[in-house]
Amino acid sequence: MLKRRFICTDTTIGILSAIYDAWKMDRTDTEAGIPLWGTVQHEMFCEYYEVEENERKAGAVRKLIRERLGKQAYSDISYAILSKDEDKGTAILQTMVAARELADSHRIMEHLSHPAVRRVFEMSRNVGREAHYWEEFLRFREMKPKILYAEITPQNQVLPAIADHFADRFPLEDFVIYDKNHASYMIHPRQKKWMFMTDHEQKWEAAKELSEEEEAWCTLWKGFRKSISIKDRENKKLQTQNMPLRYRGDMPEYGKS
Amino acid sequence: MQGVRIQQEMSLFEKLNILSDAAKYDVACTSSGTDRRGDGKGIGNCKAAGICHSFSADGRCISLLKILFTNECIFDCKYCINRASNDVKRASFTPDEVCRLTIEFYRRNYIEGLFLSSGVLKSPDYTMRLIYETLWKLRQEYHFQGYIHVKAIPGASQELIQMTGFLADRMSVNLELPTAESLRKLAPHKSRKNILGPMRLVQNKREENKQEIAVYKHAPRFVPAGQSTQMIIGATPESDYQIIHVAESLYQKFQLKRVFYSAFIHVNEDASLPARTDEGPPLLREHRLYQADWLLRYYHFSASELLSEKQPNFNVLLDPKCDWAIRHLEWFPVEVNRADYQVLLRVPGIGYTSARRIVKARKFGSLDFEDLRKMGVVLKRALYFITCKGRMMYPVKMEQDYILRNILDPREKLPGGLGEMGYRQLSLFDDVNFREVKAE
Repeated sequence: MLKRRFICTDTTIGILSAIYDAWKMDRTDTEAGIPLWGTVQHEMFCEYYEVEENERKAGAVRKLIRERLGKQAYSDISYAILSKDEDKGTAILQTMVAARELADSHRIMEHLSHPAVRRVFEMSRNVGREAHYWEEFLRFREMKPKILYAEITPQNQVLPAIADHFADRFPLEDFVIYDKNHASYMIHPRQKKWMFMTDHEQKWEAAKELSEEEEAWCTLWKGFRKSISIKDRENKKLQTQNMPLRYRGDMPEYGKS
Repeated sequence: MQGVRIQQEMSLFEKLNILSDAAKYDVACTSSGTDRRGDGKGIGNCKAAGICHSFSADGRCISLLKILFTNECIFDCKYCINRASNDVKRASFTPDEVCRLTIEFYRRNYIEGLFLSSGVLKSPDYTMRLIYETLWKLRQEYHFQGYIHVKAIPGASQELIQMTGFLADRMSVNLELPTAESLRKLAPHKSRKNILGPMRLVQNKREENKQEIAVYKHAPRFVPAGQSTQMIIGATPESDYQIIHVAESLYQKFQLKRVFYSAFIHVNEDASLPARTDEGPPLLREHRLYQADWLLRYYHFSASELLSEKQPNFNVLLDPKCDWAIRHLEWFPVEVNRADYQVLLRVPGIGYTSARRIVKARKFGSLDFEDLRKMGVVLKRALYFITCKGRMMYPVKMEQDYILRNILDPREKLPGGLGEMGYRQLSLFDDVNFREVKAE
């Protein structure tokens, strides 16, 4: 029998739609895979399908996962979809296939000796960790009309994973977070629902001018960071271990000014 | 005669420098222990896991804006930089300054909240009232819903401490030193009673509050993230055994969330303090105490299992868990696919998260070493103590010396403080002072 491959774009809707198609064709197929456009490796004895992606299919799969696999698996899978790894679609699909074999499919994420489940677990953990790092190390600057603006450079697409955290934290602020690596924005207008935007849709014109007070607060912060450190205990290595260099790019405390 | 003080207006920058510099010896900087979503009308929320926003040059996390309200102090604790008899630059914030700093830092995602401590200005009650005012302003006028850790000033009235507790997430009273006798010697203005009093008060009030919340869901919460304390390590002659015993009884009798250990740092010259050496603060000892502290809180160990009168101090070379395992080889090896959760917890290299994962995952089929590694088990340590499906990973001799030799990886970096020990070429003419070692 030919192996089935469902090709989709590297987006949440794309991957969920591919799962929809694969599931519809044969939900017991342990050989089916979901490669992403641009990374497809042509194999022999494979049938390729181009996935038609839409919100209806994605919604149906979301509902299926939530109902059949439960909350824990749903949150793990939502994180895994944001992963930088190319095998994410396949791993999620195979996790769902494996769950059908269990008496209690809600416990699928505990089945860590299954290779696909383990991959989903690893990817979810990796995305979760990176998202947590950005919650820690992201820095806002206040721009001219009192807008807070931050830039991040994550490896995984963490923006959806951190959006709720910041929206809950700053309900009364106008703020924007820009993911440089994936060219997408999270825009949060004061007291309104936040939204995503990609560079393709619309170039968001950030007010590039800092507010008058910004410099002063930044200086206060730098001073605080310096005076809070204990000279006798200095340990740069530990500092780097806890705060890896790649997160420091946009921190004002490491900035030039 | 009243002292004459000439004071100039200080800038906020200067004040922040002085008052954060004065607060830095307080070690607690955690923002964990409570989950709270924002109500949409203010600024801030809390995450139970806590969030560190930066790390200072000493590698310690910066989670909270850690400041003193004032560093003026009528107390004269020997180890403290802010003691009354020290000639240091003094400064005080106003409540509004503290609020502005907190809010503006928080908006930029620099910090997770406020840590407010203080020197004792005029009297304990007077100081506590100032702290209360500040917190009230921050919560009610600035609508701040982030994390607040506040110090209860020893000797302040019960009423004030209670009122403050309803505004804070965590409260702490510093135990300062492990025994009452040391406290008498080094902190003449503080007494064990004055410290344990407020601690007990916070504990009782929290119990009461739990009942209230059970009945009225929206009752105000009293110190929801619990209370903590800290002890200075190495200023007085207590052994690790004594210290860890004190910590254990604090956890049991006062239901503390955390006990912090602070390696003694020489900031004052005083006859009653240990002599200054070149070794720096006892960081390795502090590290071992924290490791043991974790074993008490998460791994169901008791203090008397880890140390005893005969062996009063921790092994410098090994962490307490490894040390315990090597001294109790009769427990090992354990079969990962069958052993109880409690037993798995005692295996070096298996933490409580991986232990939980193992217990769940093995229901679906037996586990192998590769599965364990992927789950987060540190096989390098665990392999001496476990079997999978009846097999050990490598043939291993169950001998103390053999395991010790192998588990001490020379490439592994020992935590600071041991750095000077490295390998050294011996030469005939070295004076290594064997006689002294023998005399001990």
